[in-house]
Amino acid sequence: MSQMPYHELKARERIRAIVDTGSFEEFIPPPERVMSTYLPKLGIPAAFDDGVAIGSALIRGQKVYLGAQTGQFVGGSVGEVHSAKLVGLLKAAARDKTPCVLLVESGGVRLHEGSSGEIGIAEAIRAVFACRSVGATTIAVIGSDIGAYGGMGILSACCDRRLMTEHGRLGISGPIVIEKWMGKEAYDSSDRALVWKTSGGKTRYILGDVDALVNDSTASVREGILSLLSKSAKPDLALAEARQASLQARLDRFGKVGHPDEIWAACGISDVAAATLDEAEEFVKSFTRKTP
Amino acid sequence: MTTPDLLDQFFGASASGLTITGKLVTGYATVDGLEVCVLGTVDGTYVNDAAALHLAAHAIDCVKTKPGIPIVMLVDSAGQEPNRTAEMLGLPVYFGHLLTCLEVARNAGHKLVTVATGKAIGGAFLCYGMFADAIYALETASVGLMPVEAMAAVTKIPVATLEELSKTLPALEFGAAPFALLGGVRDVWPVDGGLAKKLSAAIAGADAEDTRAQVGKQRGGRPQAFDVQKQVLAESLR
Repeated sequence: MSQMPYHELKARERIRAIVDTGSFEEFIPPPERVMSTYLPKLGIPAAFDDGVAIGSALIRGQKVYLGAQTGQFVGGSVGEVHSAKLVGLLKAAARDKTPCVLLVESGGVRLHEGSSGEIGIAEAIRAVFACRSVGATTIAVIGSDIGAYGGMGILSACCDRRLMTEHGRLGISGPIVIEKWMGKEAYDSSDRALVWKTSGGKTRYILGDVDALVNDSTASVREGILSLLSKSAKPDLALAEARQASLQARLDRFGKVGHPDEIWAACGISDVAAATLDEAEEFVKSFTRKTP
Repeated sequence: MTTPDLLDQFFGASASGLTITGKLVTGYATVDGLEVCVLGTVDGTYVNDAAALHLAAHAIDCVKTKPGIPIVMLVDSAGQEPNRTAEMLGLPVYFGHLLTCLEVARNAGHKLVTVATGKAIGGAFLCYGMFADAIYALETASVGLMPVEAMAAVTKIPVATLEELSKTLPALEFGAAPFALLGGVRDVWPVDGGLAKKLSAAIAGADAEDTRAQVGKQRGGRPQAFDVQKQVLAESLR
């Protein structure tokens, strides 16, 4: 397997770099031209795959269903066809009790298709839980600069497991929206360091929202996915109650915190500046050492 | 309609068993003699991390103390609160937790029924209401991704263009009726004093199968989604 920087790749390049050579079989591939009917009416070029590639593949011999969003196409946004492809994929995974890996790169619902994509994401969230209920592990891989926002942020949070790189961001409202809402003094969306520290992989990992934080290489992402494939997390009352307690504790402890650095320090990172520069896997090692 | 009036229409005198904390409603009441768990938002409030936890706690309480009773979710929320601290703490994870609690309830035999009573917009609708077995909206409700003006501001497409297109594309129109054409809600209810009976029938008819794509195709508002889903399911069998 090559060691390409994951974040620089496009959807199908990511899939090819992660799965066993030649094993990807795409469903509704681009030549079928199942496309958005909305975008042309708005004067926007449509894509043959509506911005998402889906199919089945093997990762070290294990069958998975796999979807990869294309951030370059309308921000990876989720319209009617795009969402329906994800829903079909997740339903197939639940039917076949096969893990489903989503390479997420999306700002959320495609505004140009209005409520259609919104309902589509709601259906996809139902389908994620259908997978979880039968033990078909769902994994959101978030390693692109666009990250997982809006409805795709919510959907990613519903998956059994999340894998991130430092490039990935997980959130709902993006920094520009928040800056408009709260003012530049509260959130300067041009402050990239703050933006990534607010929603990026390292902070999400420290707080326990990410199961694997890996380096920005396709080999690391592949190994990370492999480590999570068998780790389904069936929703039950014990899991819900434990999560309720931990999320309440997080809110009580950090609800008034201003800068993410304060959370890092409170979580035992003594040299925040150095940890900021660490590669993801180095960061994970030293963080684990400090908080046994 | 004021919140007390609204709760009275659905739950009559039993509405006194409901608690309004901030702009969140939780508690237990009866609909047409049937005990139900109620959770939701009122007065168009924004949903944040604390709100999600408050609603999730009630869903957990219901599973533990009132096995199997239906859960009625009321939605009147303008959206998720855009807030940097909430994002830093992991707002999607808080919403994901609320959805997980509702799934735990569903798996434990609780029916989930949503009524969009006011605003039911964007992430605030996604984070609990749209997760129900059966979803309805009052005809006065403002349902959808976002109002046309907001959509125009973000997409840079003129309001007039969007309004013209929405005549043939209900996905771009904002409101309960177009949302129903997409299959997003089963039915739109007039506010005419018969809401308790309607809710009671909705609970009786709720089942966990997600038929929204099929309904969206039948009603013509979402012509592609159902067929694309079916095609993926078929191709994945090869």
